[in-house]
Amino acid sequence: MRLSTLPLLLLMGLFFVIPLIMTALLSFQGTQYYRLVWTWDLKVWTDVFSQVHYWTIMWRTLVMALICTLLCTVLAIPIAYGMLHRLSRWSDHITLLMVFAFLTDAVLKTFGWVLFLDRSGVLNGTLEAIGFPAASVNVLFTPNATMIGMVYNLLPYTIFTVALSMARIDGDLVLAARDAGASRLRAFVEVTLPLAKPGIWAGAVLVFVLSLGVFLEPKVMGGGTSPLAAELIRQSFETRVNWPLGAALTLVLIVIGAAALTVFGAVALWQARRVAND
Amino acid sequence: MTKSKGIPMFSPNRRTFLQGMGAAGLAGAGLMPRSAQAATSMKFMCWEGYDSPDIIKPFEEANDVSISIDLITDSPGGFAKLAAGAWRDFDVVATDSPWVQRMGPAGIGEFLDDAEFADVYDSFYPQFRAPFEPLNFEGKTTGLPTRWGWVGPTVNTKYDKLESWRSYAPCFDPAYKDKICVLDWGDWPIMPMALYAGIDPYKELDDAELNEIRLVLRALFKNTRAIVGDLSVAQKGLMDGSFRTLIGGGTYCTSALRKDGQKEIMSIVPEPKDGLKQGIIWMEAGGIVKDPVDDAKAKALLRDLTSPEVAVKLAWTEATCNLVPSQKAEALFTDEQKDVLQMDYMWEAWDKSHFHNVAPNIDQMLEIWSQELAAAR
Amino acid sequence: MVSPIIKASGIEKYYGTYRALSDISLEVANGEFLALVGPSGCGKTSLLKILAGFEDLSAGSLVIDGKDMAGIPASARPTRMVFQKLALFPHKTVAQNIGFPLHLAKRPKSEIDTAVRRMLELMHLKESYLNRFPHELSGGEQQRVALARSMVSQPPVLLLDEPMSALDAKLKKSLQAELKHLHRHVGTSFVHVTHDLEEAMMLADRICVMRAGRIVQLGAPSEIYYRPADAFVAGFIGDTNLLPAKVTRVGEGFRFSCEILDCTEPLLSADQVAPGVAAGGDAALMIRPEMLRLLPQGENAECTIVGTVNEYFIRGASIQYRIAAAGTEIVMDIPGTSTLPAKQGDAVRLGLALGDLFAVGA
Repeated sequence: MRLSTLPLLLLMGLFFVIPLIMTALLSFQGTQYYRLVWTWDLKVWTDVFSQVHYWTIMWRTLVMALICTLLCTVLAIPIAYGMLHRLSRWSDHITLLMVFAFLTDAVLKTFGWVLFLDRSGVLNGTLEAIGFPAASVNVLFTPNATMIGMVYNLLPYTIFTVALSMARIDGDLVLAARDAGASRLRAFVEVTLPLAKPGIWAGAVLVFVLSLGVFLEPKVMGGGTSPLAAELIRQSFETRVNWPLGAALTLVLIVIGAAALTVFGAVALWQARRVAND
Repeated sequence: MTKSKGIPMFSPNRRTFLQGMGAAGLAGAGLMPRSAQAATSMKFMCWEGYDSPDIIKPFEEANDVSISIDLITDSPGGFAKLAAGAWRDFDVVATDSPWVQRMGPAGIGEFLDDAEFADVYDSFYPQFRAPFEPLNFEGKTTGLPTRWGWVGPTVNTKYDKLESWRSYAPCFDPAYKDKICVLDWGDWPIMPMALYAGIDPYKELDDAELNEIRLVLRALFKNTRAIVGDLSVAQKGLMDGSFRTLIGGGTYCTSALRKDGQKEIMSIVPEPKDGLKQGIIWMEAGGIVKDPVDDAKAKALLRDLTSPEVAVKLAWTEATCNLVPSQKAEALFTDEQKDVLQMDYMWEAWDKSHFHNVAPNIDQMLEIWSQELAAAR
Repeated sequence: MVSPIIKASGIEKYYGTYRALSDISLEVANGEFLALVGPSGCGKTSLLKILAGFEDLSAGSLVIDGKDMAGIPASARPTRMVFQKLALFPHKTVAQNIGFPLHLAKRPKSEIDTAVRRMLELMHLKESYLNRFPHELSGGEQQRVALARSMVSQPPVLLLDEPMSALDAKLKKSLQAELKHLHRHVGTSFVHVTHDLEEAMMLADRICVMRAGRIVQLGAPSEIYYRPADAFVAGFIGDTNLLPAKVTRVGEGFRFSCEILDCTEPLLSADQVAPGVAAGGDAALMIRPEMLRLLPQGENAECTIVGTVNEYFIRGASIQYRIAAAGTEIVMDIPGTSTLPAKQGDAVRLGLALGDLFAVGA
């Protein structure tokens, strides 16, 4: 082990490993009169594994995260490509607008969406004005609205990582493909897409991890009727003042996330090998 | 109440936002800790409204004390913070009465001697005088009531007759499908539903009764459009008719709308059903956290908050308007204010209501809530 | 005459208001090896990109293989490009790289395989390289893979954009020879961009010298070398001596006077003077270093220069002398010998045949 890695290890230990161990230790305690009691038992874990609804929510969270990751990735690829190649003259402006939107408080943006999507909101008002029936888009307070919010808030991560990795591709490679007889689309599929893979995977992993922890979108846009894991954990810690339960559920979410990332990684590796052997 | 105090549009992230707002407000009002000047420095954990410079500044000057405020953004969260050890830092707390009461069993509160506060009790309406059971733990007083109101159907008479909400029945009526808003305020929406199911949630419940609560929540979720944590979103829906009532809410949600002139919006309590009262009285209270820096000054702050002059200020805030327990304060309200506060209706509401308290089976009820919610869609 | 494979007429290219190419007209015969030469920024790469279809032309017309290229994208042109930085696909194997044009053309696998192996053989690449990735090969090998990829579908025109500029001198020499051999072998027309006139002379049938977006001279290597259009072309290769002189027309030929050069009869025939030289004006006499020789004592030549040896460099096959003569430094290359004919500070006389002189505009 090199000495230069020591600060990093210390940092990781301080801000990741130690809190994780503390969370794990917390999950073996109990609560009485809304106060933590050091019981050192498996009561909370027995509870976690015997309650179906925790797993319903965890499963829903996982599915939503996967769909969100897929949507963000699929949307980011053409957007990033368009920004770099088709709208390159405007790409600085677009980037600026995106950064501006990205840095705007997530709460504000989410509430903005509520006002936009509401039955009496901007979208329906506009549609009504051009002849659609009243309240024709009834998406607010549904899981679809949650997904819209998640994709909206997380899309910049994939756009930026994909664009970054596309921008690093030597332009001559695309020209070489075109020169060899490839249409724009074919050159994109044969050259740009495979070479942008590192960025695409990085963006997907980032979005996946972030979407496992979404809180605002299901609560505000989704109308709270389909809570996800973060809300479950919040409820355990805050409303029920049951910290050991919250700690246990946190660990469950971390394990699910880590397991999904392992599968992600394995698929990515397998993909890379397959491309190499094709 | 577990509620956001009507900071428009910011509720779900209210923790950080309110902290920022709080700090900015404190700085602006010159309320940053002045321990260098004042003899004593106290830490006060409270809901928004109690921190008003109108209230705090005169107290500081009169008592040679500097108060630093820690705004609560949700009552259980505030309690959990105290219980986790922050009680050592705090002196006084003003929060929902069950959480003040819970400081007793948790061992993080100082009990009050009723005799010492006899003059305060004398200024209260008879209903709030000692011994005041809702704030008692094992016969000892945990705090003094500060603000109150009732929980019941919130009705916009533009869309519904008041008569339709003599009971919670519309919540389960297919005609109201997708028109019910349930407030995401912990135990608050569960209690009225339990009452509608014919169960007194403030008693020890058996499995059959808990199952009844499960069934009523399941039925409620079928008609629910949204579970909302943010007061302004709930109020907006109530105004435009997309939410026909707010379950778990009451005067706390409607008073500010009435203050703005929307008198067609009212809070009522349902008629008793099969001999069981259907309304709930909510209350906020002030309590002294264990081992305050200065016991006398902590008590002085409680006295201050319950005095008629301060009570009026506490009743009339930007985000919400609420009733106060002080009978002497009543004379200080204008007729318009009395109308906004629905004072002509308050004792009728009181008579038809239970007093909100720590439900013995609350954790099971919350668990049922999250189980049913998980299965709802 | 057989119709040319490339026919460019009056091509102009503007980038905004900047004029990158003006009035480019040239023809490339089928099977010809044409080199585009010029300093950087002269427009040779722009012209190549226009031929490849990577850039649109602002005015003029371009016909390749009998078809007007207006509106035809790079992917549909009868040209293939070898890129300066090769542009091998890093994620594809050597076999996939070489076979890529055929893969795009949806040729059967067996045909692609055969073609790839044929190219491999032609380029002297080992069969074991087929499944390697470009980064696993040496620079020279990558070069050959790039060539193989652009040749595999037997395009009528191959465009080369300085593909050897990044190689070291020795590797460059051997690849140049191979390229020449390859050109002869496949019969494809090559258009080769380079800033190295020496390379162009070695490889090309004809050389097109460009400067500031215009064609300065287009001709066979010997023409470019011995009869440059102007001082710019003359000075573009090696250490050329350009001696200031005055020329006046005398009948069919020219009489000249030059301070440094002493000639028995200072007359130039018409074909010893570049077209641009004005009669009666200033000119420069071009003398290639290898045309000069050291005059032994008592021997005379048609033209002589007297001077003192400043420096000399022994280069193996030749010895280069730098001689101070009337304030000018003259460069002379003589065949290498084991005994040095003159040393530093020696007074020397240089001789030269009158017929080796060539006058360009000053």
